[in-house]
Formats: sequence, structure tokens, C-alpha cells
Amino acid sequence: MVFPYTSPMHNSSQNAAIHPQKSRAASREDAGREPVIAVESLAKEYRVYDKPEGLLASISGLFQRKSRIVHALRGVNLSVGRGEFVALLGPNGAGKTTFLKLLSGIITPTRGTAQVLGHVPWERADDFRRRFALVMGQRNQLWWDLPAAESFRLHKEIYRIDTARFERTRDELVDMLDVRKILLQPVRELSLGERMKLELVAALLHEPQVLFLDEPTIGLDVVAQHTLHRFLTHVQAQRQMTVVLTTHYMKDVAALCERVVVITHGDILYDGSLDEIVDRFTTHKIVTLDLDDTPSLERMERFGFPCEIRGPQVILRIDRPRIAEVLPEILRSERVRDISVEDVPLEEIVAALFRSEAAQPPTTHQEARA
Amino acid sequence: MGRYTKIFATFARACLVRDMTFRTNFLLECITSIGWMSMNLAFYLLVFTFTAEIGRGTGWTREPFFAFVATGLIINSIVQALFMPSAEELTEMVRTGGLDGVLVQPLDAQFVLSLHRVDFSAFANGLVGVGLLVWSLARMDHAPGVIAWILYPLLILCGVAILYSLVIMLAAATILLGRNQSLYDFWFYLTNFSRYPAEIYSGPWGGPLRNLCTFVIPILLVVNVPARIIAQPLTGQGWGMVAAAFSAAGASLLVSRIVFQAALSRYRSASS
Amino acid sequence: MTAATPSAAAHSRPRPFEGLRMWWMMLVISLEERLAYRGDFILGTLMRFLPIVTQLFLWTAVFSATNAADIAGYSRNDIVAYYLLTMITRAFSSMPGLAGGIARSVRDGSVKKYLVQPIDYVSFLLASRIAHKLVYYAVAVFPFAGVFFLCRSFFPPVPDAATIAIFLLSLLLSFLLGFFLEATLGMLGFWFLEVSSIVFAYMLLQYLLSGHMFPLDMLAGIGTGIPGVSLGSVVHWLPFEYTAYFPAAIWLGKIHGTELIRALVIEAVWVVVMAVACRIAWRRGTRRYSAFGG
Repeated sequence: MVFPYTSPMHNSSQNAAIHPQKSRAASREDAGREPVIAVESLAKEYRVYDKPEGLLASISGLFQRKSRIVHALRGVNLSVGRGEFVALLGPNGAGKTTFLKLLSGIITPTRGTAQVLGHVPWERADDFRRRFALVMGQRNQLWWDLPAAESFRLHKEIYRIDTARFERTRDELVDMLDVRKILLQPVRELSLGERMKLELVAALLHEPQVLFLDEPTIGLDVVAQHTLHRFLTHVQAQRQMTVVLTTHYMKDVAALCERVVVITHGDILYDGSLDEIVDRFTTHKIVTLDLDDTPSLERMERFGFPCEIRGPQVILRIDRPRIAEVLPEILRSERVRDISVEDVPLEEIVAALFRSEAAQPPTTHQEARA
Repeated sequence: MGRYTKIFATFARACLVRDMTFRTNFLLECITSIGWMSMNLAFYLLVFTFTAEIGRGTGWTREPFFAFVATGLIINSIVQALFMPSAEELTEMVRTGGLDGVLVQPLDAQFVLSLHRVDFSAFANGLVGVGLLVWSLARMDHAPGVIAWILYPLLILCGVAILYSLVIMLAAATILLGRNQSLYDFWFYLTNFSRYPAEIYSGPWGGPLRNLCTFVIPILLVVNVPARIIAQPLTGQGWGMVAAAFSAAGASLLVSRIVFQAALSRYRSASS
Repeated sequence: MTAATPSAAAHSRPRPFEGLRMWWMMLVISLEERLAYRGDFILGTLMRFLPIVTQLFLWTAVFSATNAADIAGYSRNDIVAYYLLTMITRAFSSMPGLAGGIARSVRDGSVKKYLVQPIDYVSFLLASRIAHKLVYYAVAVFPFAGVFFLCRSFFPPVPDAATIAIFLLSLLLSFLLGFFLEATLGMLGFWFLEVSSIVFAYMLLQYLLSGHMFPLDMLAGIGTGIPGVSLGSVVHWLPFEYTAYFPAAIWLGKIHGTELIRALVIEAVWVVVMAVACRIAWRRGTRRYSAFGG
């Protein structure tokens, strides 16, 4: 299989404010290996009809309906090598799920090309579909009224897994997630966390080479999230699986992904490693002080921006370049009982990144006769 | 092909397990469908207290007519059991995105979407239909010959195939429109035309209607052809109908397949 | 209805016209809803007439085989007109989802809302049903008018004003009868977890005995096993025929004089009986519900 593009293209659009750099993860697969996922100028547009509100509008809606084009994805380029674990981040409606759906062949694009494992996904070749899996956190793929073991058996038939291999893989996954005792219980009686574990087992039974995870940890408690993280890390490393994940939880990203792709308004805004994001988008540090007395606002403003002063407890935001000179200054002039210096939480960095391209996307307004 | 048989068996077994978990509900559904059917049979019995035949010279006297009704019951129960539950669920699957899960599996989507649910309670009507068929054939002057007996099950399959194609077309519409609240209603009203012998559609309005429902939407061939073969003497016209039924079944399967594939390629998927 | 309404009612006294305003809101919202799906709705209403087309051909075939001028007093045209008229009656008396909806609200506990809020549940249901029906008629009048115009040749000459007035009265009563019948069935949900089988039994009887499928005069010759009593004569005493057959038969002039008066009285009595039954069921049901803690 010859790919039209030999080198991965991380840079997406012309108008992106930040110029992405090649990540460590990406450069690792530059070593002549073919990308598992290769996407070029992939675009998806929808025509949506506005539902008129109000009685008079409904009546006039009898005769004409307003429609507009929504650009879910505007010509995206991406290349993912074998064994990469990539996080797709972006605010709601940014196009992450559309992207995953295109890569899984559920929908067809308006323009552009994509190859996953050497196949065009939306041609839905059986050979392709046997080699990847899609897990959607909000959707249930297992039979609701039956024990998961039954769904697994169905999976065996659908994916033509031979019996010995099926049993080996199943037992291995089941033991890893410690779900053997719930295998024979109807799925509807299980908790969300248990169900998600079983969903993952089902998705991995046919040993896919590519795994798409759409918000797999949504609604899970901390323990379940942690279990999933450990499990995914282990399986991914063991099988050298290529994984693309969308999520809103930075914990997922921190635990799992080396490479982060940020999508907003249907464009790739950033493509690189997680560390780089922190590095490049952290403009300040958070310093928490525990003092002997309650300081005044002015006294604290000398050091940085006081976010919070609650009695002797102070939280300061200090610009990163100044931190080396400010810290000794604080220790010298204040009676400090305790001090801690932290990075801005990842959530905030990413939120700022999402906002950085604040301009509203242009949409084409059209009026069409219904 | 063996794999698909096996997968279908798994679907069917899963549905049976489910039905048996909610046994009372299952029994109620059986009783419900038999109840509705009995009401219709009562109506036909009432009609035959006023007339000896449906349409002058059509041969649809009481027993042949009940053989006709029985044939309709058998065909409809097969469609209701095998295809309708999946088709009805499709609306929900499009709305919630469950269809996405089907599309990523290495299986023919049309196969999964039309067969993944089986409603075993719908077979109740079919069993009553078989009983009614035996009863009416035993009381008829005309005994069907060997050829009729060979053709009858094949023509029933043709009828099922035509109805199946209609279900698939409606399913395609569901995928394109994203919703189809009146899918089941539309189905009911359309198949309603197939519930009586084609001969009743005559006259200036009936003739064109009969042609429309024979050649464009071949709904009139579904029950009429097998019922005529089993309940009335085989004539030259009968052979013509047999040929029509087979070609209509083939053509509608083909057309529905093309329409369904086209709909899938335009599938938008629910936004999440 | 003070028995089941807790003290909350005393605190927030409803302002005058509050009920009316809420009702108006319901009317507007459901009208908007209907208009949003007007295409579906008009198509759906038209589709409902399709079975009548089959019935038209069926009865034409029956008449062609019998040579009779009429069956049970109905000519072929009468029968078609009858089916069309029962469509109107059914539009008044049928209450889709009413019984099931009440039973569901009992089952999932949302009925509690009406025990707490200063609203009388039965009146609320009736008001919302009237709103829905009005909206339905406002839009459905177009497809109905179209079909009736196309089919005008099947109808006998328009009856006199008095008959039309009685026809309208019977329609109004059929709406109330249908409402209280189904509401009472739904209230049985307080006693039985699953009322769907009861509703089903009712629907079956309704289907056969309301005259929805055929003019009930055809039952005159069917015996009941009791000598001298035909099925047709029994049916007149039951509530079912007033939800489909009766208004249609009035329009077609099949019932006159004392017979007509007697039938109207029976219908009115049934409305009262079912309204009282519905009240009693609600009162007893809610008492039982609060006693058992829902």
C-alpha cells in the first residue's frame, strides 16, 4: 500500500493562531513507517434547518424554511503512526465526534480524503471494519437484557474470531478488568462503570489495531476512571494499538496520551505533546501562602495578582518569568508558615486554548423554499 | 453465508431469552394479536351472513375467502416477527446514534438492521393462520393439486420478500429523514390494500388502483397470488400471476437494496 | 377534591383566570407543535381515510354479489357515508394515550405532582384534552373537508337543522363519554400495576361494538343465545356505540323520534355514570396511593 503522503502533516489551517510543532510522539514514527491514520483536507458540512419559534413564525414556516450550512470540519490534515495514543480535545461542537465518525466510516465527508489502516473508512470494507473498534461512552453496544457473555459470543461470530483465540483474549481482558463475576448478569442490572468495562472488553475481543474512544470515561467515578486508565495503558502498550480518544477530562489525557490534537470550530488548532501545551501556554504559576497574619491587598499586589485572600491564606498568580525573583522576595519580607508553587491546572490551560480562537465561525446563510 | 445464519441464530436466541424473561408480557402480546385478529374474523363472518361471495363470479365464497385470510395471516406474521421489530427500532437507533455501532461492525448493515430483533409473539397469528387454512381447505369443494402445494410456500416467500422490501424502503426513509413517527401507520395503511382479493378493485377507480398496487407497489400480489393458487383452480391467468409474483419479489428486493444503500451513504448520524 | 389536596393549596390561592391562562398556553403550545409537523400531520390524517377506500370496494363487491338494494337498511352509498361519518365521531371520542398516560403517571410516581399542586387532576386532564382536540380540529378540518367534498355523492341530502343540532349534541356527548371512559380505565392503575391488558380488552370491545367496523344495524339479525334478544338490541344499552355509531346514524337518518330521544338519554346517562366513576376512582385511588406511600 502506497500512501500519497510520506510525511505526517500536523499543521492544519492557514488561519490558526498558533503554529503547531512536531511532537516527540510524531517524530518517533517519522522513521520511515507508514501512518496508520492519514487524513488530508477532510471536511464535513451539514445543512440544518432552523426551526421557527412562535406561532406566526410556524405559520410562515409553512411556506419557506431558513437553512444554513454548518461546517463541522473544515479541511483537516492529520497523520497518526502505529502505537500512538492521541487525544482529541476541543469544546462541545468543535468537530471531535464528527472527526471520529468520519474515521470510523459512519459518515461520509463533503471533501477530502482519509485512510485508516490503508482503507477509506466510509467504503466500509469488512476487512477494515474487522481491524478497528469504536467505543462510545454514552452509548450502549451490549445487549441490554442479556448477560455480557452473550454479547461477547455474538461478537465472536460477527468478527469471525476462532474459538481458542476468542477464549484466550476474553479471559485475559476479563481478568485484567476483574469483571468475571458480572459476565453472567443482564447488562441492564450493572452500574455505569461495570458496563463501560464490559464495553471495552467487547471492543477489544477481535484485537483491533486501531481503537477510537469517544468520551469513554464520561460519568464514571474516580476509581473507575483510574481502572480504565491503567487498563488502557497496559493493553495499548502490549498490543501496540493506535488509539484516538476524545474526552473532556484532562485526567484522561494526562494519564494516557503523549500527543494532543486540539480542534475548535472544525479546525486543528494545536497538534503536539501534552508537555508542550503546558510549557507554551502556562504564562504564570499559582503560589499558595500560609502567613502568620492577615495581609492587606496592597501588600500582596507587590508580588503578583492576588486571586484570593482568606485570612492568613493567600493565593497568588505570578508571571512565570518573574517567579525566580519574586519567591525569595516573599520569603524575605513575609513571615511564611507554608508555601507551595503549582502550575495552572491543565483544565484552565486548555480552556484558555479553546478560547484563544474566539472568533465565531462564519456560516453561510441561505433561504430555501421548502 | 454460514456466518450470517449463525449470527441470526444468536439474535433470535437473544430475543427468545429476553421474551422468556418477561413471560407475562410475551403471553399478553400473543393474546393481543390473536384478539385483534379474531375481531377481524368476526367481521368477515358477519359480512358472509349478508352475501355468499365477495364480488360476483370471483369464486371468493366463504371458505376460499377464509383460506385467503389465513394466507394473509401467515405472511404478515412472518414479516411482523422477523422484520418489523427491527424496523420499528430503527427510528430510535437513528435518534440515539445506535446505528453508528452497527455501521462499524464488519457485517452487512441491511442484514443487521432488518433482523436483529425477532418478535416471537407475532408467530401466534401465523399458527392461527395455519389452523384456519386447514379448516377452510377441508371444507372446500376444490382440493389444491400437487403443483399448488409446491408453489404455495414459494409464493408465500415471495409475498414476504415484497413486504420485506417495503419495510426496507421505509427504513431507508427513516435514515434519511432522521425520524419517521408514522412508519408503522404508513405500513398498516399500505398493507391494508392487500387484505382483500384483488378482484374487488374494479370499475373506473378500482381498475387503475389495482394496476398501481400490482405493478408499481406490488402489494396486491403479496397475499393474492398464493391464496389464489391454494384456494382456487389453477388457470392460465393463475400462471401469469405466479410469474408476476416471482418477478415482483426479485425486482423489489433489488430496488430496496439500492435505495437502502443510497440512504446509508447519506446518513448524517446523530450529533452528540 | 379537597380530600386529597394537601395544605399547599391553602397557601398559594390561585389567582382568578390563572386556570384559563394556563389553558390558553397549552392551546398555543400544542398548536405550534402541530404546525411544526404539519406535513406529517396532514399526511397522517389523509392516510387514515385509506381503509375506507378498501371498505368502499369491499362493500361494492358484496353488493354486486347479492343483488340486494340494501343491507340492514344501508345502501352501498350509505355504508361509505357511514364510514366517513364515523371518522368524525372517532375524532371526537377517541382519546389516544389517555388511559395509558394516567396509568404511567401512577406507576412512575409523577401523579404525586397533582397531589401537591393546587390543580384538580381530572379537570386538568379534561382541559388539556380539549385544547389538544381543538388544535387537532383546527388543522384536521382541511383534509377532512377535502375528503368529504370529494365523496359528497355518497351522502344523502343534508338533514334538517334539528337533526344537525342533535348530531352536534351527540358528538359533544361522545367526546365526554370517551374522555371519562378512558380516564376511569387509566385510574385503575391505582389498583393494578399494569392496566394495558384492561385497556386492550376495552379496545377490542370498542372496536367491534362501537360501530367502527360496520353499521351496528347489521347486528340486528345476530342472536345472543337468549331467545328474542338480538346482539343488536343489547348493544344499544352499552356505552360503546355512542363513541362511533350513534352520531353517524343520526346524520344518515337511521334513528328517529322516541328511539332517538331514548338513545340520547342513554348516552347522557352513560356520560354522567362514567364521570362519577372517574371521580370516585380518583378519590379512592389517591387515598389508597397515599396510604401505601406510592
